[in-house]
Amino acid sequence: MTPLEILSATISGQPTPRVPIFCNLLDQGSKLLNMSPEQYYSKGEYVAEGQLKILKHFGHDNVWSASYVGKEAQLLGCKEILFADHGAPNVADFVIKSWDDISTFEIPEDITQHPHWQSIGDCLKILHQEVGATHPICAYVTASTTLPAILMGMDKWMELVLTGPIDVRDELVKKCSHFVQQQLTAYRAAGANVIIYANPFGSPYFIPQKMIVDWSMPWMKQDLKDGPDNIVYYCGMAPLNAVTELVIEKLNVNIFYPAPSDDLTEAKRLINGKGLTSGVLDDIKMIHWTEQQTRDEVKCIMALGKPEGHFLFGTGFMPLDIPEKNIIAMLDAAFEYGRYP
Amino acid sequence: MFETYIKDYNEAVFEIDKELALEVVETALQQGVTPEQVVFDIIIPSIEQMMAEIVINADTNLAQHFMTAQIAAEITENMLAKFKTPPEVIGRVIIGTSYGDLHSLGKRIVIGCLKSMMVEVVDLGVNVKAEDFVEAAVAQDAQVIAISSMMVHTATGENGSLKVRALLKEQNLENQIKLVVGGAPYRFDHELYSKVGADNWAADGVTAAKVIRQVILDRKSS
Repeated sequence: MTPLEILSATISGQPTPRVPIFCNLLDQGSKLLNMSPEQYYSKGEYVAEGQLKILKHFGHDNVWSASYVGKEAQLLGCKEILFADHGAPNVADFVIKSWDDISTFEIPEDITQHPHWQSIGDCLKILHQEVGATHPICAYVTASTTLPAILMGMDKWMELVLTGPIDVRDELVKKCSHFVQQQLTAYRAAGANVIIYANPFGSPYFIPQKMIVDWSMPWMKQDLKDGPDNIVYYCGMAPLNAVTELVIEKLNVNIFYPAPSDDLTEAKRLINGKGLTSGVLDDIKMIHWTEQQTRDEVKCIMALGKPEGHFLFGTGFMPLDIPEKNIIAMLDAAFEYGRYP
Repeated sequence: MFETYIKDYNEAVFEIDKELALEVVETALQQGVTPEQVVFDIIIPSIEQMMAEIVINADTNLAQHFMTAQIAAEITENMLAKFKTPPEVIGRVIIGTSYGDLHSLGKRIVIGCLKSMMVEVVDLGVNVKAEDFVEAAVAQDAQVIAISSMMVHTATGENGSLKVRALLKEQNLENQIKLVVGGAPYRFDHELYSKVGADNWAADGVTAAKVIRQVILDRKSS
């Protein structure tokens, strides 16, 4: 079976030879191509080449069409990204500087015509041609209730959400939701077949459960009104077990990417054969772990998650500081302990 | 007498209801509570209760932490203007995000809590160079440098906390100025703070204020 077939069969509960193994390596591409991050992310061809080289080098199951989260802000008018030699790029120019800017803030009519979509589209085209028939191609879309954080800064957004005028807050989220829907359509049309729908404001670590039910959930329904196909519910490494049943019931989404701090046994109980949940390795610890510690942790995650299937092994967004020997040890262990009899 | 105010105030903050929290304070003032008592007998004990709650109740959330800090800071600022004599300041902290990091939410929570606890805060903003942290700490005679990092590479990078530690060592300031760090990467790896040369760390903004206050008190008593 190909990695794509293994993933599809795992979601539907069909037999597979092993657990799907996702490893989210993004910034590593620039190192492999010997480019600065700014140069690497300037063209979709470079990102696609980097992803294909990473895939060949490490042999895991997935590739990424995304370049960096700030790309969404650039599609919405951000003019400056702070690139780092040794980590993910930051948004350095907030499109919305005050609440007054929200009324004039505009979403592009068609994001696929935007200059910043060019590199995403080019990358997806190559990935789709090269591995689209065999490997999951991941895309990253920030939910409408979280997207304002990269447009105005997390603290300003939190302030508006909690203490600001409700009509202003929801005017912004409505515009963001329109953008999210456009992105989902564009990514699906371009060949992305796993869409990470990221919403920290859908986690009880960020806001109270009641606010998730009353405020986040209706907007998530709006974001996903074209259906839950290929959508993975993810809260940006914040815990999500407490909302899993709600998300299944209200959004029909049945693929989950919990935080390492979520109880994996409980995550399995909640998914209860209805889709797929993931065992996510705390990859920040991998920076300082030994190879043996890495293997032991993978073994532990597989032992908890593998029984009765419906399970994927995954990582966070692997920091560049992680030694390559630990990445290799992690993947070796994942393939070894992830085999089904 | 103050227990009821503290309870009502904290319930409002937990429900992230700023208007209700302000009403509790207004009622207390109308009933003869002085501005000094509002700060020292209601606001500070309320923050301390939130700090304790975070330890025993993992279900507190970021929204509650944010509101704890923002409401407390706003009320304290209003009350300080009405104090008969300026309050005694516990100590001074230099705070900012690490070099290359532009995320300010955590820092803002820490500042709000510290100000209410009578700690003077010098905020250097975001994307702060290591040299600027140390220079400001020396110039302001601060007991603590507090560095917030939301990204792994800004927490572990050679221009962040590691460089601040090196500068403190080079200038023989390690006994006078302590280094406290916080932010997402430290929550995922509880040993990371020591690997970036910090003396202490905290998992969230409210707890960071508690840790920093204690470090200042320890430093001043040593």
